[in-house]
Amino acid sequence: MKESRQPVLTDEELLTGLADGSDDALTQLYRRYFPMVLHFVTTNSGNEDDAKDIYQEALIVLYEKVRSGSLELHCQLKTYLYSISRRLWLKQLTQRSRFMVRDVETPASDELAMEQLNDDLADHEERDRQFTLMADSLDRLGEPCRTLLEDFYIQHLSMQDITEKFGYTNADNAKTQKYKCLMRLKRLFFSEYKS
Amino acid sequence: MNEEKDIDNALRAYGERIRFKRRLAKIQAGIDMNAMRQEAENYSSQVESSSQIRMLWQTYRTTLAVAASVALITTFGSIFLYRSYQQGHQQQEQQYSLLSKELQAVKTSQRQLLNDINGRSRGLRINPAQVAGSGFLLTADGYFVTNNHIVREADSVYVQSTKGEIYKARIVYADQAHDVAVLQLCDDSAFRTLPPVPYSFDARPSDLGERVYTLGYPREEIVYGEGYLSSGTGYRGDSTAYQVAIGVNPGNSGGPLLDEKGNVVGMISGKQTTSEGVSFAIKTNYLLQALSSIPSDSLKGLPIRLNRKNTLTELSRKQQIKRMQDYVYQVKVFKHKE
Repeated sequence: MKESRQPVLTDEELLTGLADGSDDALTQLYRRYFPMVLHFVTTNSGNEDDAKDIYQEALIVLYEKVRSGSLELHCQLKTYLYSISRRLWLKQLTQRSRFMVRDVETPASDELAMEQLNDDLADHEERDRQFTLMADSLDRLGEPCRTLLEDFYIQHLSMQDITEKFGYTNADNAKTQKYKCLMRLKRLFFSEYKS
Repeated sequence: MNEEKDIDNALRAYGERIRFKRRLAKIQAGIDMNAMRQEAENYSSQVESSSQIRMLWQTYRTTLAVAASVALITTFGSIFLYRSYQQGHQQQEQQYSLLSKELQAVKTSQRQLLNDINGRSRGLRINPAQVAGSGFLLTADGYFVTNNHIVREADSVYVQSTKGEIYKARIVYADQAHDVAVLQLCDDSAFRTLPPVPYSFDARPSDLGERVYTLGYPREEIVYGEGYLSSGTGYRGDSTAYQVAIGVNPGNSGGPLLDEKGNVVGMISGKQTTSEGVSFAIKTNYLLQALSSIPSDSLKGLPIRLNRKNTLTELSRKQQIKRMQDYVYQVKVFKHKE
């Protein structure tokens, strides 16, 4: 019912909404193309959970591209999402030593679109590596640094909230504490990242 | 300083992704999976058939492309080879030209016919012959030999001597395979038996390099030509003929080929158009074979008795020719015009 009240957005509007962090746009985008990927993955020896993971990863690729303002579409949004999902799923299948998929949609095939796909996926892999490493580094950072940084960067708590939550005397003190934690994280992160 | 910025950015991206993931998870949780499944089902019915074909195409298109190009190359290659073979063949066929002469264009020279006792040349003048060649007497009593290709499909055949005497001839026998035709002049009451023919017939194979000469009618006058035997076989290995290096022209066909002693060793029949001085002559042996295969009833009781005595042997070439030319005739053939 909620769906019918919303105007149907075009691909262009969906992307703009995504960049602005609109929940409506994301929901609509999610629902629009999920059946496609669901069908693709389930007809290619995956289950619904696999489909969900693949689709969400594809959306992450799209989202991060949109957020960084570096998205260049050389094909329809639908084709882009399908092609990305297809590649991601193929990669998973390769790990399970299966190399063929049955397409339910035409993947992007012209040279420009292929090149763009390759670039985006390479970017994504790099970010993925950073992401895992960051999660790992945060784990090893220990308390209270970990929670402090997570509160600031993930929960988007203000320095004031953090000062209160951790019982620091003032915001400057909290900032110094945050800086020290950041430096420790930096060492942990880059010692791994650069090797 | 730089690394501080990096770690800050990395953490921001990390946070961003985690938040986005949470949003996605929330949407996923709020989604009606049954509706999604239903849509996915509909999806399958839409594209299934075409996707299967497309998948096959995608998998095998390189193989298909290779196979198709191989097929194309093979097809056009064989067509090309076949065509070039055929063309080569045609060219070879055209290389052999029969030396009978088409006379449509020589009306002017027809007017210069020599004296004509019987007034027949007038008829020829009005209605010039269509094909002309040469021929020579086998016997003094009127048996005459020429090429079959000259008299083939003829309505009437006339022969004309160097003196301009014209006789009507009857075709006694035609041997298409060896290109030999035997005519008889004695049907014509005007024909009178000549002195015995001065030359004899030599059926043995002649040697390469044998000096030979011929007399014939490439034009209205008798023309002498000489050369040598250059090969024991004729056009494309034809064993019934010789190759002769002698200059001949249309009209020479049917002329006798004589060796130095005045023996008939063959009869001129054609030449190769692609190369100069390559002519062909039917071997006397096959000439005689043709004669012996004539049914006796077509001879009307007049057997062919070939001359065995050669009276030219001792003579000089000029004397030989003088004696010879009375026995070499021009053959004029009239065909029914369509």
